[in-house]
Amino acid sequence: MKWLELFSVASATLVSAVTVVVLYSLGVRLTAIAGDTRTSPAAWTRPLAYTCFALCGAAILFGLYLIIPYFHK
Amino acid sequence: MVALVISLALFFDFTNGFHDTANAMATPIATGAIKPKTAVALAAVLNLVGAFLSTEVAKTVSGGIIKEGSDGVQITPDIIFAGLMGAILWNMITWLKGLPSSSSHALFGGLIGAAIAGIGIHAINFESILQKIILPAVFAPVIAGGVAYLCTRLAYALTARHDPETGDKLTQKRGGFRTGQVFTSSLVALAHGTNDAQKTMGIITLVLISAGLQPAGSGPEWWVITACAFAIAIGTYSGGWRIIRTMGSGLTEVKPAQGFAAETSTATAILASSHLGFALSTTQVASGSVVGSGMGRRGTTVRWGTAGRIAIGWLFTLPAAGIMGALTALLVQTGVVGVIIAATAGTAAVAYMFVRSRKSPVGSNNAVEIEEVGQAVQFRKKKSATKSIKNGGAQR
Repeated sequence: MKWLELFSVASATLVSAVTVVVLYSLGVRLTAIAGDTRTSPAAWTRPLAYTCFALCGAAILFGLYLIIPYFHK
Repeated sequence: MVALVISLALFFDFTNGFHDTANAMATPIATGAIKPKTAVALAAVLNLVGAFLSTEVAKTVSGGIIKEGSDGVQITPDIIFAGLMGAILWNMITWLKGLPSSSSHALFGGLIGAAIAGIGIHAINFESILQKIILPAVFAPVIAGGVAYLCTRLAYALTARHDPETGDKLTQKRGGFRTGQVFTSSLVALAHGTNDAQKTMGIITLVLISAGLQPAGSGPEWWVITACAFAIAIGTYSGGWRIIRTMGSGLTEVKPAQGFAAETSTATAILASSHLGFALSTTQVASGSVVGSGMGRRGTTVRWGTAGRIAIGWLFTLPAAGIMGALTALLVQTGVVGVIIAATAGTAAVAYMFVRSRKSPVGSNNAVEIEEVGQAVQFRKKKSATKSIKNGGAQR
């Protein structure tokens, strides 16, 4: 039985999904903070939010790399 | 016979397409991230592109579940015909019931049934069934559901905004998750195209090889690739609205952050499973994610009745498709008349189910009631409520 493969699939799924969701959530949160009108937000919030989204974009590109067999033959 | 098998294989590809639109597009449709029609069009295009990306032919039709090959039994076009028939009928039944169920498991079931009836029980590799169908069916929803649960919790915890002084809830501004949903669900659709269209290409190519129309070991002909790609894309575009409804609103109510968490879990689980050597069914992963994310968000409930019906559907997939495959195989064995009877009966059954489906049509207009954000919520809700009353019993 392929228990090792099963375990690696489960842990890879867990780690990568949590990473992407945490990054994206941080991005959403920071965008929300940066958009606050009542309090003046710190200047670094918006760039940091964009960095989070960019990292998520990189994750998507890695997904594309995995899907398209041309890249890893 | 070869022509019959090819057309049946293409029709199976079509049912596979509309059966699995929901995996990628149910949650973005439910949260309003993408408009229903746009979503299925996007999924169709991605499936089409995906089908052209990967054209490697599998070495065996059944992936080792039937002991085929040089030292095993010979899978004839008759067996493939019967297997496809079983798979298509089961796909149509589950679609009519709005149940998401794995198309590849239906195909395996049909082939197993056909092989038992046509060759004998010794043709089946039971260890392989356990390893490739039964265990993944148990673990796919567990893994995806667990990950989606955790992700949903995290997403909500990280974006929960409270006023530091009064502790009141601020505007949460979680609409940004909708944009993310577009990307994650697109990945799922593309991955689906590369995997599932390829299965049909493999079957057709193996049939052509076994009939001596194509040299052994060669790849699929260009017309096979094109036909399969378009069959799955058209299937996807016609949208399995019944299944989208089940996945998008039947299991639980989906909100953007939750939908994003679910789709991310689905996408990562599928990519991990296809690259780390433990194949999981897309449908089962996606259903598990939706249930898991529903458990993760506070203030929502998972409709366990629906989840239970889906699980029962999965239990029946193998035996039901198998029995239909076996019956077809027995008919086909009797000769040309049997083939004609089987083909006619199959077409009639599909047509009957299609007619049945027209009695309570589910389309892009009423698949999922979308809640608009912001101030319009109250107003929109009332409007859609009256709409559903006008539609009468068609809604539920």
